[in-house]
Parts: sequence; structure tokens; C-alpha cells
Amino acid sequence: MTPDAPVMLDVQDVRVYYGPRRQPVRAVDGVSFQLRQGEALGLVGESGCGKSTLGRALLRLEPLQSGRVLLAGEDLVLLRGARLKAFRGRAQMIFQDPYGSLNPRHSIGGMLREAVAAHARTTRAAREERVAELLRAVGLDPAYTRRYPHEFSGGQRQRLGLARALAVKPELIIADEPVSALDVSVQVQILNLLKDLQRQLHLALLFIAHDLAVVRYVCDRLLVMYLGQVVEAAPAPALFARPRHPYSEALLSAVPDVGKGLAARAGGGSPRLVLRGDPPAPTHRLPGCPFHPRCPRARERCRTEPPALREVAPGHCSACHFADAL
Amino acid sequence: MPAAHQLAVVENLQVHFFGGAHPVRAVDGVSFDIAEGETVALVGESGCGKSVTALALARLVPQPPGRYAGGRVLLAGRNVLEMSASELRTLRGREIAYIFQEPGSALNPVFTIGWQIREAIRLHRPEAGAQAEALAMLRLVGLPEPEKRLHAYPHELSGGQQQRVMIAMALACRPKLLVADEPTTALDVTIQAQILELLRNLQQQLGMALLLITHNLGLVAETAHRVFVMYAGRMVESGVTADVLAAPRHPYTRALLAAVPRLEGCEGRLKAIEGHVPNPADWPTGCKFHPRCAWARARCRVEEPAWELAEGRGTRCFFWQELLAQPNAATDH
Repeated sequence: MTPDAPVMLDVQDVRVYYGPRRQPVRAVDGVSFQLRQGEALGLVGESGCGKSTLGRALLRLEPLQSGRVLLAGEDLVLLRGARLKAFRGRAQMIFQDPYGSLNPRHSIGGMLREAVAAHARTTRAAREERVAELLRAVGLDPAYTRRYPHEFSGGQRQRLGLARALAVKPELIIADEPVSALDVSVQVQILNLLKDLQRQLHLALLFIAHDLAVVRYVCDRLLVMYLGQVVEAAPAPALFARPRHPYSEALLSAVPDVGKGLAARAGGGSPRLVLRGDPPAPTHRLPGCPFHPRCPRARERCRTEPPALREVAPGHCSACHFADAL
Repeated sequence: MPAAHQLAVVENLQVHFFGGAHPVRAVDGVSFDIAEGETVALVGESGCGKSVTALALARLVPQPPGRYAGGRVLLAGRNVLEMSASELRTLRGREIAYIFQEPGSALNPVFTIGWQIREAIRLHRPEAGAQAEALAMLRLVGLPEPEKRLHAYPHELSGGQQQRVMIAMALACRPKLLVADEPTTALDVTIQAQILELLRNLQQQLGMALLLITHNLGLVAETAHRVFVMYAGRMVESGVTADVLAAPRHPYTRALLAAVPRLEGCEGRLKAIEGHVPNPADWPTGCKFHPRCAWARARCRVEEPAWELAEGRGTRCFFWQELLAQPNAATDH
């Protein structure tokens, strides 16, 4: 990715609320970021932090409470009719469950032909050629067109999900936990495929996952979410080398890892930082920093004054009053 | 006769399932042992037979469709597979207890937490004092506001809290062996760390052994003394965790390690294992890993390697010595 590549997705203060107006669930609570063409951006956080809701809202699969989402300069919220349909061709989603996201009654060929036809009117021969090309691109045999989803393994089904997303030649792909349902030995097949295609096709990729090591492998830059807000945003190597938010620090420390485990056995490594308690429900807004009840570094100021997301190093943003001390 | 300090010994265990067109050899000649107070990990991917092996330790595999087709499971020197129903009842809970991946589905939704823990106690001891004991168990597992939680229903608790309750129930009769089948897979990372810390502390406090069933090599690296690696119903590698992870002898262990993304990042690409996990109803011939093995030769296709055990390290590969001599034996990173 080149740093001056055009901005593909510009997210401005997006909020997604559910439930009663007086005390809504603030699933996404004021998120802003930019995603450039050819960039792979990771969105990490624990369940309930709003990462999946945000991903869906960006594709207009969830209504926004407020905020703006610009795809290549065009405001998504204002799109209607034919222009909304055209937008669906530019942005696609890959889901966690490859079993649930393929229609069991459609053959692979039928499913892909439909997607290709939705994108462009072409001759039947050109369509068949495109379907074969898509299957080859995701590492499947083009002869599989007559088969049905149940005849494929989990990894193969995720390849099919990717082929279907690519059928409309999108510029943006949002992948929501695409490998967490797969066996370890198959995960890397899909990650490598996703990485290769993202680079070849110069796609903007928003990769939503809870597994930090997986995100690090795929993404250039990371956003860490907690309770509907971005608490840290940084290039992947910088964030892993020196997290500047106590929550990111705790997440990194909590992940079981082969390298860390072996280092600890050899008598090295740092002690594990274990957070107390569960994340609070996103129904009522806490005064001060949303992380303060669980933060091992919380001080008086954190209980009263909400920290803003600010740049603490070039390209490295943190929403912690004491980011400089971390 | 196994040594006195051995708590559990599994010898050549065979568990088959009948029901389909062909019998499924889910566990096919598995042997391992657990010492008192030890943490042992059983590692493998879906369908490799690790959970069935774990269930067999207390003869919990449903029959039918399952059948114990051979081998022995010795707990404290007695063969579990030949016990009477009443002997099994005493064994379960006292000698061995389980916690599972989904605490939400293992708890009964219509009874309070307190009732369910008391039930576990009542089955083995007189009723008197069960309430106080249940409260003590909830304190032991670090559940906040334990007096209040005794009257709570499972849906009122978070996933991490439910798993704490499961642990309280499992430990109520002070088992010598706790089997934890993917105990943290359904939990968030920060909650996972809490539960692992709890298990580690309780294990030291109570001196019990822990059998951890998992697919997560990071978890193995951080918790287990010894590790057993399963593939397609077979044990393919075993040894002290640090040795196995630093210098794996079986191509599967080696490929798996090379395929796991690391927190410290890596140079270039990770090496994927081609193909997919085989179906238990249709294991490959010869060495079961040969269709996916980068080092497979003609012999591997027709003949299955024997389980070789020497100096605490076990492996099932014809060519492990050659493999070990290859550069980057540790990880291929």
C-alpha cells in the first residue's frame, strides 16, 4: 500500500444505536477512520465491542444513528435505487460462517453466475469464462460448477464465499471473522489467499477479527475497539511493539501464544496482565473513560473526564489520558 | 503395572462408532498417561478424536452408537471400561470431572446456580452443609457476590461467570483429575486469561491433574507440562511441551506450528497445510497424514508407521530422524 493512495472509505463519527431512545444500546458510539485503496485495516476487539455492527453499518446492512460514510467520496446514506445497487457492486462482505452464508439449494455455478450477471450484462460464454476464472482465482477446480455447498469442506466454502464476493469486482471487502470457524491447518490457506488477492486486485480490506495474531498477519494497520469506540489506532508493528492504550496492552498480554509460552518456559517473558471483570453492558454511558472500571492503570481523572482519541506518535492514536506514560 | 504416581493410563484405546454404512474408528489405538498433579494437553483439529478420548476416560461415550472396541483406561489402577454402574457413579465427580466449551449449554437453565452445585455435592455426600459448601465453591472460583449468585439462573451470568460456575460444580467433590475440553474457546481473550489463571491457581491449591483438550498451540505452550498430538484418531507425537514445540518430530506437528500466526509477527508467508482434515468415516490408507504431508514418500502411502517411544518422546513417522536433520526444524518461519 502506498501512503498517498486515494481514500476508499471515509468514516466520520458513525453511531449505531439500538433499542429505546431514552436508554439505547450504543453499539457503535462515534467511530471515525479512513481506509485507503490497497490497504488492509484490522478491526479488533472482544465480543460486544461493536466491531461486527460497525462492519455491517458500513455496507448499509444496519441503519446509522448519525455520522457519515463516504465510499470514494460518495455518501452512502444518501444512496437510493440504481446508485445503491451500483454501490453493492463496489463493496462486498465475507462472513464468518461459510455454512450459513451459501444457499444450499444453489449450485456453485448458479450462485456465481448470478453474482456475475448482477455486475455486468455479458454473453453466456463470457459469463461461464468469468465463473471459471473466479474459481481458479480462489484455488478451486473450475469443474466444480455443478456441485452444491454441502459437498465442500469448511475451507472450500470460505473460498466460495470469497469467489462470490469477487464476482462483482469490488473495490472494498469487509471480512468479518473469515477464518475463526476453520481448523488451524486450514486457516492459513484462506489467510494467504485473502492476502494475495487483496494485493493483486489492490483491494481496500477491512478485516474484523478477535485473534490478534491473525490480524497482525494480514493487516497493515489496526483499530482496537472497546464498548463501541476506537481506543487505539496504529500501524500493526507499532501497536504490537508498544501498545499505547491499557486495553490493547491487556489484550496483547492475554493472547496465548507459542512464542510467549516458550519464552516463559525459558525463564523470560513478561508476567501476564489479567483484567478483572467483564466488559460492562453498552446501555448506559459511564462517566469518564469507558475502560476505567477494568483498567489497572486508572486514576481519578479517568473516572470523570472522557479521553479523546489523539495522536501520540506519528500515525499512532490513543484514547488514554496517560498514553505517553505507556 | 503402571508406576504409583500415575493417575490415569490409557492403553491402546479403540472407540468405534456404528450407525452409518461403515464403522467409524474415531479413536484408533491411543495410549497416554497422566501423572498426579500434572497438566497434560491433548491437541488436534476437529474430528481427530481428542474429545472422544477425553470422554472415554470416564466411560462417557454414548453406547450406542459408540463402542469401546479395545484397550484399557486405568484410573488409579482400575479399568474404567470394566466397572459396574455404581462404581462408575463413585468415580465420576470424585476421581474425574469435566468442564466443556459451552458453559451455557452445560448448565440447566431452569435451576439456580446454587441448586446445581448442591446437586453435585449431594450425589456424593450427605445433604447437610451442602449450601455452605456451594457458597464456599463459588468463593473459591472467584465469582463476584457469591451469596447473591447462589439464587441466580444461568442466563443471568456472563460466559466467563458461567464457566466459573462449571468449574465450581466440577471441583465440588475434589476430583483428582479435571478434564477441560476447549474450556476457553467460546470466551473472549481477556476472559480466557481469567479462566486459565483460575484453573492454574486451583490446580496448585488442590493438587489435581488437568487434562486440557484444545486445538490452540499457544494455550499448550503456556500451560501444559506434556503434550500429546492427535491426528485422524491416532496419536502422532508426544513429549515434554517445550521439546515438542521447539523440535517437533512429526511432520503434522511441524506443519501445524508453521501454520500458526504469531504475535511477534513473521518474515514473509506462513506455510499452509494443503488439503483438509480427513473425515473420520474415511481415513486415508498408510500413514493417515500422507495426503497432506510435504515429506510423504511411496512407503507412507501403503504402510502405516508404528508408534515409536523413546526417552519420553513418542512419534509415528518413518522418517522423523531425517526430518529432524532438516534445517529450520523448529518452525519453518
